[in-house]
Amino acid sequence: MINLRDKGAQFWERSNRPVRVLTVFAIVAVVAALPYAGNTFLQTPVAAFDAVLVYPMGMFILMALGLNVVVGKSGMLDLGYVAFFAVGAYTMAILGTRTGLNTWEIMPIGIAAAMFAGVLLAIPTLRLRGDYLAIVTLGFGEIVRVSALNSEAIGGALGIAGVPFPPGLGFEYQLLDQKYFYWTIVVMILLVIWVIRRLTVRRPGRAWESIRQDEDAAELMGVSTYKYKIWAFVFGAAIGGGAGVFYASRSMVIAPDNFTLNTSILILACVVFGGMGNIWGVIVGAAILGYLPDRFRFLSDARLLLFGLVLVVFMNLRPEGILPRKKREKAIVKKGSGA
Amino acid sequence: MAKTILNLKNLTIKFGGVTALNSVNLELKEGEILALIGPNGAGKTTVFNLITGVYKPTSGNVFLGDVAIDGKKRHHITKLGIARTFQNIRLFGDMTTLENVITGTDVRNKVGLIGSILGTPRSRREEKASIAKAHEILKFIGIDEYADRLAKNLPYGVQRRLEIARALGTEPKILLLDEPAAGFNPQEKVELAAIIKKIRDAGYTILLIEHDMSLIMGISDRVVVLDFGQKIADDLPSVVQNDPQVIAAYLGVPEDAS
Repeated sequence: MINLRDKGAQFWERSNRPVRVLTVFAIVAVVAALPYAGNTFLQTPVAAFDAVLVYPMGMFILMALGLNVVVGKSGMLDLGYVAFFAVGAYTMAILGTRTGLNTWEIMPIGIAAAMFAGVLLAIPTLRLRGDYLAIVTLGFGEIVRVSALNSEAIGGALGIAGVPFPPGLGFEYQLLDQKYFYWTIVVMILLVIWVIRRLTVRRPGRAWESIRQDEDAAELMGVSTYKYKIWAFVFGAAIGGGAGVFYASRSMVIAPDNFTLNTSILILACVVFGGMGNIWGVIVGAAILGYLPDRFRFLSDARLLLFGLVLVVFMNLRPEGILPRKKREKAIVKKGSGA
Repeated sequence: MAKTILNLKNLTIKFGGVTALNSVNLELKEGEILALIGPNGAGKTTVFNLITGVYKPTSGNVFLGDVAIDGKKRHHITKLGIARTFQNIRLFGDMTTLENVITGTDVRNKVGLIGSILGTPRSRREEKASIAKAHEILKFIGIDEYADRLAKNLPYGVQRRLEIARALGTEPKILLLDEPAAGFNPQEKVELAAIIKKIRDAGYTILLIEHDMSLIMGISDRVVVLDFGQKIADDLPSVVQNDPQVIAAYLGVPEDAS
């Protein structure tokens, strides 16, 4: 199979600044034009294509990027990631329906609430590793959902309806034409990519990377593993919370059923499928896994079978994901050491 | 003699019913190379683990200068100036050689998450300085040509040296080397001895665990011998070499002699 990751990285390294800038603009332009591709083979039956671009695809990408910091970069298996998404969404829904605040004003509050939830989860679980951590995070995700389910004050099983749309910024967000929602989420994704890339090549990224590879050695080399594990959780939570706020504001109605373990698993699947630790892989993975079920919706229940089949086949062909994490060395092929 | 920089006082540690170290006293003088030897299971690596905070002593203390460091967090101890290598290499395999060393230098950096995201002047300055320092250390150790290679793809000998380089990245006062010559051929051992001497001459104090006698005799200023968790000798290499108790610990004692 062609090694897309290395081809891409090589292209990037060999290009000069103008070429790079042009490439980025070209990609962003293509991505931004996607809502207009609704009448091609990409068209999703049943659901409107522009709506699918927002949810699941855009949301999945955003969440997968956040989860990737925790799972892919820092190596902590989090099975309750949807909890942060839920915290963000509920913050939006509660404040949006009961106060005069609009989506953009609630956004920082929702992110802060999710970060706080991240700290709450991180502190008791920090001493746990591997399977044990996974179980506790799984429990955390369920606690959040079940709490929402049983709190009549926030709608119980019915959830909260009538969450307001975001106020327009010189345009109006519309239900039937969701391209503004889509462009907004593209901007959010670009922002997250930019932040993650900055972190990755600097001190926090190295700290996370060293924790993933050998936590004890990392600590003995002076990495404050405690601090950076909390940061990983909190940072991941912030992205999940931000996605949640936007999701609630777009969906208008949210209920505990939107935040089941299934979503956590699916986002984790996006990360693993795309390539743990590689943000481009994660983006591609989330886009595909978000898109496929809607593309094949005409198969009704059989689409999930197909979905599973795609996962199984792909994970066999590319066990490390579509675009695995960096393994290539900077000095490209010194002595015929192969790809 | 120079002042004592690291002082282990009556250090005892028990694992269940096993006393791994029994009231061990050890003083490390500034600027010396002290070798810690002893048969397998004598407790040498346990000493390292106690100094670096991996274990907490059952009783006794570890003093760095005048500060008791037993009970402090491991990364904090590193920050105070003690760095180590590992008996079985524990590099960050998916990082490049350079990144491994930079991860070590990060302990002296101050920029946090927010500063890194914003790319503050301090964060840029620290990044630049770290990269320069890491290259300098790699050159000092003689493996700068491997800077961009992934650690896991490095030849064995280079990995061992990278362990030392990564530890030096943390700017320690004291460097703990846990069998740095394990698996080396004689030629590599000679080179390593030169490197260790060079590190000492650059102002570091070195505590060294090693099995290779010729290496120890060649570079160490003093030798401490452990046997079954007890210190049985602490003297100049030439003296220790002829100590009957040490010989007995290594070779065993004929039944009628004891």
